[in-house]
Amino acid sequence: MGLDYYKIKKNILRARKLVIRGTSAAGSGHPGGSFSMAEILGCLFGNHLRFDPKNPLWEDRDRLVLSKGHAAPGLYSNMAVAGYFDESEIDTLRKFGSRLQGHPDLKCPGVEFCGGSLGTGLSYSVGVALAARMDSRDSRVYVVLGDGESDEGQVWEAAMTAAKYKVDNLTAFLDRNFIQQDSYTEKIMPLDEVLDGDDPSEMWKDASRWKIGDKWRAFGWNVIEIDGHRIEQIDAAIRRAGETKGVPTMIISRTIKGKSVEHMEDNPQWHGKAPDPAMVPVINLELDSQFMIAPSIIAGDMADLAGEVKKCADGRADYIHLDVMDGRFVPEKTFDHAKIKELRPLTAIPFDTHLMISEPARHISDYIDAGSDIITVHAEATDESGFGEICDRLKGGGVGAGLAINPGTDLPEWSHKFLPSLDQIIVMSVVPGRSGQKYIAETHEKMAKLGSVLKECGFSGYVEADGGINLENIGSVFADGARVFVGGGAIAGQSDVRAAIRGFRDEVLRARRRLLLEEAGRQGGEDLVQKWIGLHVVGKKQEQIKRIAQEAGL
Amino acid sequence: MTDMRTEYARSLIEVGRKDPRVVVLGADTTDSLKTSGFGREFPDRFFNVGIAEANLVTVSAGLAASGKVAFASTYAIFLPGRAVDQIRNNVAYPSPQDKKGLDVKLVVSHGGLSVGPDGGSHQQLEDIAIMRAIPNFRVLIPADTAAVAGLTRLMASEYGPFYMRMARSKTPLIHAESQKFETGRGITLRDGSDCTIVSCGITVSMALKAAEMLQREGVSCRVLDMFSIKPIDSDLLEKAARETGRILTAEEHNIFGGMGSAVAESVSESYPVPVRRIGAQDAFGESARDAEIPELLKKHGITSVNMARQARELEKR
Repeated sequence: MGLDYYKIKKNILRARKLVIRGTSAAGSGHPGGSFSMAEILGCLFGNHLRFDPKNPLWEDRDRLVLSKGHAAPGLYSNMAVAGYFDESEIDTLRKFGSRLQGHPDLKCPGVEFCGGSLGTGLSYSVGVALAARMDSRDSRVYVVLGDGESDEGQVWEAAMTAAKYKVDNLTAFLDRNFIQQDSYTEKIMPLDEVLDGDDPSEMWKDASRWKIGDKWRAFGWNVIEIDGHRIEQIDAAIRRAGETKGVPTMIISRTIKGKSVEHMEDNPQWHGKAPDPAMVPVINLELDSQFMIAPSIIAGDMADLAGEVKKCADGRADYIHLDVMDGRFVPEKTFDHAKIKELRPLTAIPFDTHLMISEPARHISDYIDAGSDIITVHAEATDESGFGEICDRLKGGGVGAGLAINPGTDLPEWSHKFLPSLDQIIVMSVVPGRSGQKYIAETHEKMAKLGSVLKECGFSGYVEADGGINLENIGSVFADGARVFVGGGAIAGQSDVRAAIRGFRDEVLRARRRLLLEEAGRQGGEDLVQKWIGLHVVGKKQEQIKRIAQEAGL
Repeated sequence: MTDMRTEYARSLIEVGRKDPRVVVLGADTTDSLKTSGFGREFPDRFFNVGIAEANLVTVSAGLAASGKVAFASTYAIFLPGRAVDQIRNNVAYPSPQDKKGLDVKLVVSHGGLSVGPDGGSHQQLEDIAIMRAIPNFRVLIPADTAAVAGLTRLMASEYGPFYMRMARSKTPLIHAESQKFETGRGITLRDGSDCTIVSCGITVSMALKAAEMLQREGVSCRVLDMFSIKPIDSDLLEKAARETGRILTAEEHNIFGGMGSAVAESVSESYPVPVRRIGAQDAFGESARDAEIPELLKKHGITSVNMARQARELEKR
């Protein structure tokens, strides 16, 4: 079964928007900690938690305990997305008479734990897990702890108890976002090696300073350390935890407080503050403008694709783009599903398989079985019935479904009915098959037209730009609406893949900052633009955004 | 004289045999509380979480949230005094569906001054005040082992949070084995018409002795065992106020917020009469060897002699 990457990704996006909606309507709340754990909760609700929103007290359900209860909007938003209640109920958050109390409360069916007083959720989870074991229920208990609340001694009382009683049906997450109410955790009560200097960013730079995992190991836990915003890492960690017997598992998830909204990211101010309603449209656009970098490994050393995958993984690529060419649909031949299967164990990073092959319906199962997370077939190589079959297989296998079009092709009429359920559209900006081509400038125009068709048809997936993308054109391609960027020669062909990926990100970030400034201008004129700039207080963001605004004449 | 902890442990096994949902938790005092016996009979339903009272309370809450009836026990000083946040937020506050609180029974030993030699640090004189203030909790103080047995059965059969405080020392038998115990229903142990002594725990037997003394002097004194401090038996108190006109309370607890306060609150709303409270006068305890415990109690006025004297003074008003 695949990761269902895009399904989770879309749910997380919906949930994040609900957090913004709820907290801004309430005028208070905790968006920062809701966003740092957004991917964790998205993965749990999407792929792992066993629950029934129509029967919240189902005995065999899994339990999710939010120990860091102030992140209640993050929990409620996921519950709304999961169908426990209508999304509009988020407007009642923190208001008189609402089920959505300021901190999670059993008043809201589906909530398992009354949070609020920090440091108690783990003890509670141990009790719940012991009860499940006593009753021979195979349900699991998941608990999300904050790093700030790890200051509480009771956390460690519970840690010892869980180890003593070998509570292996318990999986804990530490949302390690490095920020608590007053300031950075390492300034208030260090969990890692004590900082020498005053610069809290030091704690990010040097992983050898990270000691919190050792603390949990010393307490007898199975410890897995991951990037808590990487869906594939979270998913893999949850699976490993589920297979671990005889000890409880702690998944230390390194996260960014306020993740996905730049001015909230890594900013202690956003621990417990609601966004200004005037800013909400701009924030929502920012959430809609998350982007992914997908290096295409065939642009590297074809004789050492495993080496290329490793380079991309080290370079923190979002996807590995796999161009499969069969020598029929395109004149060239690259590799097939057997190679993908061989590469699969090398990384958990999603495989973005791009099938440039004839008769894709005949081969689709092989590519699902090989471990692809997203599979895109060409519109030119299939038809309505063939594509219908492909979509069914992909959805059934938990694999994202994509459709690609060549530079000379428009989205065919027959594809429109599939658009609402499609995850990805690849717009080729070079003729597939030959490497080293330049970006076809007409693609900009095509993207503009495509954008309105996609909107009309209710497409909620991602547009992936593929072909000749480089540092010069990536900003304009982002402005066209692309959110996934395939990097061929400009990434995989480079000697320093990590730096090349960072370069791509920086350019897209520039373009996104500009897009958001323009949106602020549209929403509220110069005044809102100034306010928007003023929100970005961490690091050098403000100067950089100011410069972009000046260049754009805003 | 019989021992409350032994009776509690015996009763736990009895309710545990009847109801497989019953689980017992302790915090390194399970030999003293004698709950380890339950652990020997039901090893899978017994958890010793170490010297970690906050954890004790919250693990119990988690078990209760999953359908268990959790009895958590240690010394009085370490539960309400130490873990009030967990008691409030993890046990009393969470209310599933139409229920009130989680099904956790906090049963403590070593309440009050009669703890003796361990000294003031171990003599919990504030627990009634703390527990009375927390919604959804019922607060019980048994006077003897018959009450311990009856109240343990009662807690096992009634859903929701309970606090029961036992004494360390052996106590004389007061109630018949057949005595029924209900929450919110005090027991009239002796009738009288001139005054009423409302007592709980170890002061019940003292109150009975005081009433004997008063009778010899021609004063007819009623004695109530107010083992259920919350809910309190307002009807019985109103009746006592109406019929005897004076109320004296006696407890091994601070006079502020304890059983005496509860009685005063009740009668001042139903039928105000003079109320006088015997107990620690906003003071802490101190060490006293077992044989010296009566002296320690005497220092705080908790004796039958003082009860009789106070009753006489009340009568003059």
